[in-house]
Amino acid sequence: MKGRNAALIAAIAGLALLAVVFVVLLAGGGGGDGDGGGEQAGPSTSPTPADARGGCDAPRGDDLRLLGSEPISLDPALTFTAGDADYVVHIFSGLVKLDANLKVVADLAEGWDVSPDGTVYTFRLRRNTLFHDDRPVTAEDVKYSLDRAAKLGQTESIVAESMLGDIVGAKDVTRGRADSISGVKVVNSTTVEITIDAPKAYFLAKLTYPTAFVVQKQQVEANPQGWTRKPIGTGPYKMQRWELGERIILEANEKYFGGAPKVKRVLFYLAGGSSLTQFENCEIDVSGIGLDDLERVQSPRDPLNSQYVTAPSLSISYIGFNTQAAPFDDPKVRLAFAIAINREQISRVVLKDREPLANSIMMPGLPGYNKDAQMAGFDAQRAKQLLAESKYGSAGGLPKVTLTIGSAGGGATVGPYIEALQAMWRENLGVDVEIAQADLASYFSDLDKGRYQMRVDGWIMDYPDPEDLLDILFHSKSRYNQSRYSNPEYDAIIERARTERNESARLKLYQDAEKILLTDLPWIPLNFGKTHLVVSEHIKGYKPFPIVIPFLQNVTIER
Amino acid sequence: MAREEAAELGVRPGDEAPLAPPHSPMGVALRRLLRKRIASVALAFILLFYAVGLLAPVLGWLNVIPSYSDQDLEQALKGPSLSHPFGTDRLGRDQLSRVIWASQTTVVVTLATLFTGGLVLAVGLGLISGYVGGWVDTAIMRVGDVFASLPGILMLLLINATLKEQVRGLAEDFESLSGIGGIVRSGAPDYILIFGALSLFGWVGGARVIRSQILALRATEFILAARSLGASTPRILFRHLLPNVSNIIIVSLSAGLASIAGSEIVLTWFGVGIQPPRPSFGALIFDASGLRTINAHLYLLAFPGGVVAALFFAFNLLGDALTDVFTPRAR
Amino acid sequence: MDSSLVSYLLRRLLWVPLILFVVSFVTFALARFGPGDPVSVAAGQFRDPEVLDRIRHARGLDKPFYEQYWIYVKNAARGDLGESYRYKDRKVTEVIFPAIWRSFQLNSVALVITLGLGIPLGVFAARRQGTWADPASIGSFLLIQSIPGLILVPFLLLAFALKLGWLPASGWPRDCSVAIGLLGESYKCIGIAHTYYEIPISWRFLVPVDFAIPVIGMSREVMIPIIALSLPAVASWARYTRAFTLGVLREDYVRTARAKGVSETTVMTRHVLRNALLPLSTLVAFAMVGLLEGSFFVETLTGIPGVGRLAFESIGSRDYDMIMAITLLGSSSFVLASIFIDVAYTFIDPRIRYGA
Repeated sequence: MKGRNAALIAAIAGLALLAVVFVVLLAGGGGGDGDGGGEQAGPSTSPTPADARGGCDAPRGDDLRLLGSEPISLDPALTFTAGDADYVVHIFSGLVKLDANLKVVADLAEGWDVSPDGTVYTFRLRRNTLFHDDRPVTAEDVKYSLDRAAKLGQTESIVAESMLGDIVGAKDVTRGRADSISGVKVVNSTTVEITIDAPKAYFLAKLTYPTAFVVQKQQVEANPQGWTRKPIGTGPYKMQRWELGERIILEANEKYFGGAPKVKRVLFYLAGGSSLTQFENCEIDVSGIGLDDLERVQSPRDPLNSQYVTAPSLSISYIGFNTQAAPFDDPKVRLAFAIAINREQISRVVLKDREPLANSIMMPGLPGYNKDAQMAGFDAQRAKQLLAESKYGSAGGLPKVTLTIGSAGGGATVGPYIEALQAMWRENLGVDVEIAQADLASYFSDLDKGRYQMRVDGWIMDYPDPEDLLDILFHSKSRYNQSRYSNPEYDAIIERARTERNESARLKLYQDAEKILLTDLPWIPLNFGKTHLVVSEHIKGYKPFPIVIPFLQNVTIER
Repeated sequence: MAREEAAELGVRPGDEAPLAPPHSPMGVALRRLLRKRIASVALAFILLFYAVGLLAPVLGWLNVIPSYSDQDLEQALKGPSLSHPFGTDRLGRDQLSRVIWASQTTVVVTLATLFTGGLVLAVGLGLISGYVGGWVDTAIMRVGDVFASLPGILMLLLINATLKEQVRGLAEDFESLSGIGGIVRSGAPDYILIFGALSLFGWVGGARVIRSQILALRATEFILAARSLGASTPRILFRHLLPNVSNIIIVSLSAGLASIAGSEIVLTWFGVGIQPPRPSFGALIFDASGLRTINAHLYLLAFPGGVVAALFFAFNLLGDALTDVFTPRAR
Repeated sequence: MDSSLVSYLLRRLLWVPLILFVVSFVTFALARFGPGDPVSVAAGQFRDPEVLDRIRHARGLDKPFYEQYWIYVKNAARGDLGESYRYKDRKVTEVIFPAIWRSFQLNSVALVITLGLGIPLGVFAARRQGTWADPASIGSFLLIQSIPGLILVPFLLLAFALKLGWLPASGWPRDCSVAIGLLGESYKCIGIAHTYYEIPISWRFLVPVDFAIPVIGMSREVMIPIIALSLPAVASWARYTRAFTLGVLREDYVRTARAKGVSETTVMTRHVLRNALLPLSTLVAFAMVGLLEGSFFVETLTGIPGVGRLAFESIGSRDYDMIMAITLLGSSSFVLASIFIDVAYTFIDPRIRYGA
């Protein structure tokens, strides 16, 4: 017996030793530096398929390889997520689109006139535009698409009513009272006239959103259930193949009116996996960068640094209060919570400055962004004072406080950011905030019922106009006003801004409105969005944009 | 030698069995177990793990280990060192103490599930089903079929998503009615949901094994004798049958323990059960297992992962040893 | 087949619809009564309660529970398992079956490796009992088996994909123009089978029909997932086989055979293997049921669009019909497999009889 046991022990010890050696080797050599540091990365000793220090070979053929997310649907009338929009903006076009500077420019319409009172837009369509199957595009197609999108607002489309609602008669269609939008008129085969209900300056920006994109009536009616598998659009790329779960292949539309794209095929791999690892292994050409690699890649001595690109994105993460639920019905309590946390420190340490700290609501890059707008800074002492001044008297007087987070279906931890906040509130304010991690589905149903006190959430701009932020989210009558914020003074400013024709006066109005928000604090702004990518050195013209716009047609591959 | 052991353990159905259960088969078994070095080491490790897990709150109260939410942002993501043998996590919390706190979660859930799912449900239902037979047996077995055929983890996730609020609500009502505070905060409703659900889905295998053993024993002489003497059913079940299946119970429980612990870790990985900032192994592993994360900070996964692997290793060793001990050898 | 067996079989089969009913009802109830629904989940940041209610109504989600369940059962009986909410305009079957097929391919290869390595290793260890090789092998098997999948997969990825770069990090084959061989560039992937070659143009005059020559290999991408799936299984099969073999080798009749001078090979094949048939085949049968399931961890961490991942994503997105379909498929295969095994037992071991 003794011999056996000895042998067993020896075996286990040997294995353990092997494991330790293995782990040490892994922690040391090959594919990446250890933490922090940024030491010299010498030539790789292991046989990586890429000569990772020298970069990958150019992609074969004229193919661009990307990782993509599985779209929910490729029907532009139903598009409302950035993931779907990534495909849709390349397959379809609308009357107008956004350029790289986020200005509204011509797309299917080569020009337009606006009536003196600002409510009638007359769009002149480009001549000789073709669908991917060579059918010509006419004004009837535009009307059909808009009517259809509005009709879908009755049964399936989440955003139709809000995106098209400014057009006269659109709400009649979305609510089932009419079949066709009265405000959209076909003047002749190349002219469309759209009438809106008030001189809203942001209307054109809204038209760049996929809901207003043009689809082909013949295809949709011939195959209502299945046409999205291989949709026919007018955009720079056509759908070549969509293998559910595996890949989407877009091929260049040689007859695109803006000029044939240089990259002939774009392959989106849908199956997932670690993107940066695949990038380093030369399996894909573009990858995002996660928190654990950011510091390393940003350091100039890292080999990936030359391929690193970053740009702000028009989004913001925030803590939203339910201003009608105790204890956050008292603005002093909201301010106390806001200044009891050291957001700067968390952003620096936990997020490693991946995203810039947000001290205002409007984000950089959005017209109207005011870099002088600042919310109150971290001040633990004052926070406690504010609590004392509030109607609850002290931390002890508060009811139980819960922070609600919707997790995305698989996630044990709420993220160190939230846990850091929790600890700060405990330490600086004496309040024990409980974290309720609802799963996504229950989170939304709770939100709809107003059943929360504070929540962590984010907002991504749909179009580059402050109306999509300050109006839609904070006007007391707005349906998306989850904070139930109601301030008549604020409402008045916002309503004036809707129809103010002078651009700079309009932006000034929004800035005034923002100042009110930063005092009343229905939200604690946390961070603005920023995209970090590495792009293979052979790919030119690929960079992150603040909002989803068609750009693949300008990308080229160099050998 | 084997025959003497077999007689002592009295587990060969069909053999002549004494009228009373053999005395202290457990004692004999335990002694045999301890004679195996490796198994003893495994047992010791498991006991140590469970002791630490149960004592974690005491250790915390005594300030031997920091609270699981003691963060120090400036110390974040440091590797193993003297003051932090397991390193620190993203918020500067000491990983070693978080592992200790996480073991508390595992310990509580596994023990609770073992008790309800294992002992109460599996043994109880197995005994009844095997002894009573007839439609009771069929009913229990078919219900077991339903539970066994449902995909376990999926159902647990679904149950958690559906019932979490209800259970919490109930706990809150209980708190206000009874005046005992801090129930919800301690995480008790979350524990209840996990171990309740795990018990519901875990009892079937053990019950089947026990049932078949009971079926075999049911017709033996000493049981028939006991019945003819007028012994009541509960008496027969507990005094005569139960001790004879105790060895099977122990073996299947020890195997079950490993799988319960495994399920607990998987569930907490999904965010079911214990909520942050209270740590659990699943949460620790989830946080650390992104490919880029282990590339940058291997120790975040290596330590909790190592502890978990060591625990399972010990369970398996123990299970093997127990099987050895309790299986009579024909020689 | 004697009549008592037939009646047993019939009795067991009669229970199947009932079990499925209960399973479907429980699942349906759990999904529907839980908070949230597919419309709100999908809504993202556009949470306009009025619009969401309208859409829910259009999809029939506001009907009373029993009505919804009855509609589901009626459709299911006709073979219509519903439409997916997450993948719009796709029938559930359209999404599930390819996913199951992918998981199945992986699992099958993993099973072959598992059996091919595990059983021989177990026998090897059993034969070497008493020498250092035996405890060494049990130790290593046990150790490997003890590492949970959620830890094993990241380490495998780290080692093979990241540090060593031997294998791709993406779990699912993508680029099919990888191999270049005698017949020119290869053409297509069939699941995880590597490529097949199309007849190059210059040869077409020889072969008037357009067909392709299949050359089956395995894509490199799936090797990490397969290793992750088979490694722990190899270990546990080896342990089990070893324990079983030892048990058989100790039996009196084996000692007799050896004493009689029967060759070791014959001992192994005639005695050990025959006796192994019953328990091993039970395990194999259950393993085969498991072929239709996917491992969530392996699939998510390596990026494989299989049914394991689909199942969990469906719960997260409350894709009701998808959840129902996956659960029902899983349950029915399990139940049918158990019946099959129980019946098969009677053929393999004539001593086993069912009945009163």
